[in-house]
Amino acid sequence: MPAKLVVDRLSHHYPDEYTGEDVHALDQVSLSVEDGEFSAVVGPSGCGKTTLLNILAGLLPHTEGSVQVDGREVGGPGPDRGVVFQEHAILPWRTVARNIGHGLEIQGIARSEREQRVQEFVDLVGLSGFEDRYPHELSGGMKQRCALARTLCANPVVMLMDEPFAAVDAQTRITLQEELNRIAIATRKTILFITHNVDEAAFLGDRCFIFSRRPGKLKATVKIDVPREKRIWKDLLSEKSYTDPRDEILRLVREEVFDDEE
Amino acid sequence: MSVLQTAAISIQKRFGRQRLRRIMLGSIPFVVLLAFWQMNTSMGWLPPVFIPPIGTIWEAIYTLSDGCTGASAVLSMQYECMFTNHILSSLGRVGLSLVIGIPSGIALGVLAGMSRRFAHALEPIGVFANAISGIAWVPLAIVWFGTGWLTTLFILLNTVFWLIFFNTLLGVRGVPRVYENSVMTMGGGRWAIITQVYIPGALPSIVTGVRMSMGFGWRALIAAEMIGGDSGLGFMIFVSAAEYKIEEVFLGVLVIAIMWMITDRLLLIPLERWTIQRWGMVWRPD
Repeated sequence: MPAKLVVDRLSHHYPDEYTGEDVHALDQVSLSVEDGEFSAVVGPSGCGKTTLLNILAGLLPHTEGSVQVDGREVGGPGPDRGVVFQEHAILPWRTVARNIGHGLEIQGIARSEREQRVQEFVDLVGLSGFEDRYPHELSGGMKQRCALARTLCANPVVMLMDEPFAAVDAQTRITLQEELNRIAIATRKTILFITHNVDEAAFLGDRCFIFSRRPGKLKATVKIDVPREKRIWKDLLSEKSYTDPRDEILRLVREEVFDDEE
Repeated sequence: MSVLQTAAISIQKRFGRQRLRRIMLGSIPFVVLLAFWQMNTSMGWLPPVFIPPIGTIWEAIYTLSDGCTGASAVLSMQYECMFTNHILSSLGRVGLSLVIGIPSGIALGVLAGMSRRFAHALEPIGVFANAISGIAWVPLAIVWFGTGWLTTLFILLNTVFWLIFFNTLLGVRGVPRVYENSVMTMGGGRWAIITQVYIPGALPSIVTGVRMSMGFGWRALIAAEMIGGDSGLGFMIFVSAAEYKIEEVFLGVLVIAIMWMITDRLLLIPLERWTIQRWGMVWRPD
């Protein structure tokens, strides 16, 4: 299977905003994500996860190494990589429908086709009936569904997600995780999902990339061999094929977090 | 049920209880003021030279509108048709300054909000110009442009432009970065970011700028017309005062206040309601 996203020996340095000191954020990171694969990046805070995502999205130029999507070198942002951000990044001055259709509007897709596609994704994320609402009228979970639909509707090659469920409450998060799994089955998107939540990473990922503390290095890769259809929280908690890799990831991440205190 | 009660109920139904109560509360100070005004005349506290009887204000409208017969006379700005002539020329100046000042203020404000270099270039001159905004320019403007349209327009533009410029600049800077990033990752270019992110995102601030500039603009205009004008409400007030026509001075002041209230209610508040309130970007406690 051809890899959709290939990161090769990627390093990044930047001067600290206040002290001017050189910060080594990423060190020789190499990883690849296959077509239709759901990959998760886990690591302690400050390990350069978000820096990695910003580089992949093209929002940040990298200092060394290469990033390729579908065999093409990444230089700047582009519609081949869709991003779901951590905060609510949908525009407050656009209705749900116009937010979801925003990518298509930028691509210059005709209105009639756009409306059809938008409706498809409104239904997919369960926002039917809310098409004409403004974001401030939605709950936190609904805003993230809208953000997810906006990214999917533009049909990117790779979908990058930056801790998209970190700001919602625990119940909503569980629902959103199961729904994202359902959407991943339905759309077969290639996804790179960034999180600091070990359970979330193991629940969603086919493969988990574990990062070390700064400078962020790829420390280990853990595979989770649970069929997508079986990924439902109430069944998974006692499933060894889930708990074993989850515990392994937890151990690897804890090593990084507690190294300091010894 | 008496006729009065029926009328009261139908008015309540038409406007809504809450709104009616608000209007009634808001009009109390005006009623008190009018009552004192009327009492002053009937008790003879201060002579009519200082505070004219209310009735003479109406007479002043007639005196000043003497030559105004028909719409053509009003619109042709004949000098005899003084009252409407003054109102129209003041309105025209404010309107023109907004037509020029709002788009240019927004355009340069957005540029300065986007580009650090542009901001560095424009901010100091803006602070400099703002410090001498409004009427401080009048003497110089008279030397440059003489009395009349150009002088008053210059004063107005100096007020309107900088206020809109600074408010737009601050508004653009306050737009969360993530909106811009999200449009960029969808493939949006500079123009898409300006029209779909910066301008709508800065709108709460821009609307504040427009409101402020109209408020300050009206004040500056009146002052400019008094010293450097040849028509307009400020000019009318000044000339009337010099001729001891106190009722015309009162009329001019009242018209200015009423016109400001009308523009605020009919133009600015609905604009706010249609944009930033609908988007949940500001709250108006009601």
